[in-house]
Amino acid sequence: MGELLTLVVIGVGTYAMRAAFLVTARRQPPALVARLLPHIGPAVLAAITLPALIAPRGSVAVADTVPALLAAAIAAVMWRRTKNLPVALFGGMALWWLASWALSTL
Amino acid sequence: MSTTPWGAGAALSVLGRGARDSVAVAVAYLPFGLALGATLGSSHLPPLLAWSTSPLLVGGAAQLLAVQLLSAGASGVVVVLAALIVNARMLLYGAALAPHAAAWSARWRWLGAYLLADPVYALAAARFSMPDGGGSARHRLLYYLGVGVALWTAWLAMTGAGVLLAGVLPTSLHLELAAPLTFLLLLLPTLTHRASYGAAVTGGIVAVAASGLPLGLGLLVGAGAGIAVGTILTGRHG
Repeated sequence: MGELLTLVVIGVGTYAMRAAFLVTARRQPPALVARLLPHIGPAVLAAITLPALIAPRGSVAVADTVPALLAAAIAAVMWRRTKNLPVALFGGMALWWLASWALSTL
Repeated sequence: MSTTPWGAGAALSVLGRGARDSVAVAVAYLPFGLALGATLGSSHLPPLLAWSTSPLLVGGAAQLLAVQLLSAGASGVVVVLAALIVNARMLLYGAALAPHAAAWSARWRWLGAYLLADPVYALAAARFSMPDGGGSARHRLLYYLGVGVALWTAWLAMTGAGVLLAGVLPTSLHLELAAPLTFLLLLLPTLTHRASYGAAVTGGIVAVAASGLPLGLGLLVGAGAGIAVGTILTGRHG
């Protein structure tokens, strides 16, 4: 029960953060805020992506990091070419699997 | 745009667009969702309790962190604090979408808040930044709710399937890269001009440099630096 309570508290807290600005929304935010908002997406998503890419199993290691960066490059190129998310994702995953398999059989 | 923006035809076309976008994102999320569900299912918590993080937290990183910390016997205060810091980016997403949602009724904004997640933000932000602003307020709401409900349902189903498949998925099926690649593919469409590249490059590099900070604070430090650089670049280059 203690564990469920902990999870419910996190859920309520997360919901409050999701709702805070959305529910109090104004059409015209203050000028400085309005200039910050467009950069939230690229900044936050890159801050999630890059650390996870260079340490896919939790720590930086050549055997993990190099295949991960190659897979990311392939996924990025495939997305630019096709604008198709599943194709790009599975293209990147395929390269990652191939590289992991190659490294494990060396 | 349709000549009858309030008509059923235009609404259907918005919903259709939302459905297509949702399916593409949901398929791209499949490896991540399955892998996360399998990790939740193999924790020391009862599987149903571990899966309950999907409707309660609706965010893979926080779900993983909360369940792993609880499994390891961490104190409730630490678990709550750590998970809320990971999910604090939802504050930023809410702020970014707020001007586009201001015309929605309060009821829909409360529901929309529950559905707000990384891919929902990414799709909505891309659509609302189109030249026509994503259409009328009603069409923006339709798109947002359509995408939000579809991806919420997909997330609950994928993580549920992952929990059921825990121990069945072969460990040789390396899915570690699914989450970072998925987030990379949410990131790429946001890179539309010089300042957004500056925000992303700074955010990523500072987050890596700050990755040693406790409680996953590196993400927020990186995000803050990236937002600052993006804003400065916009000021200079318009």
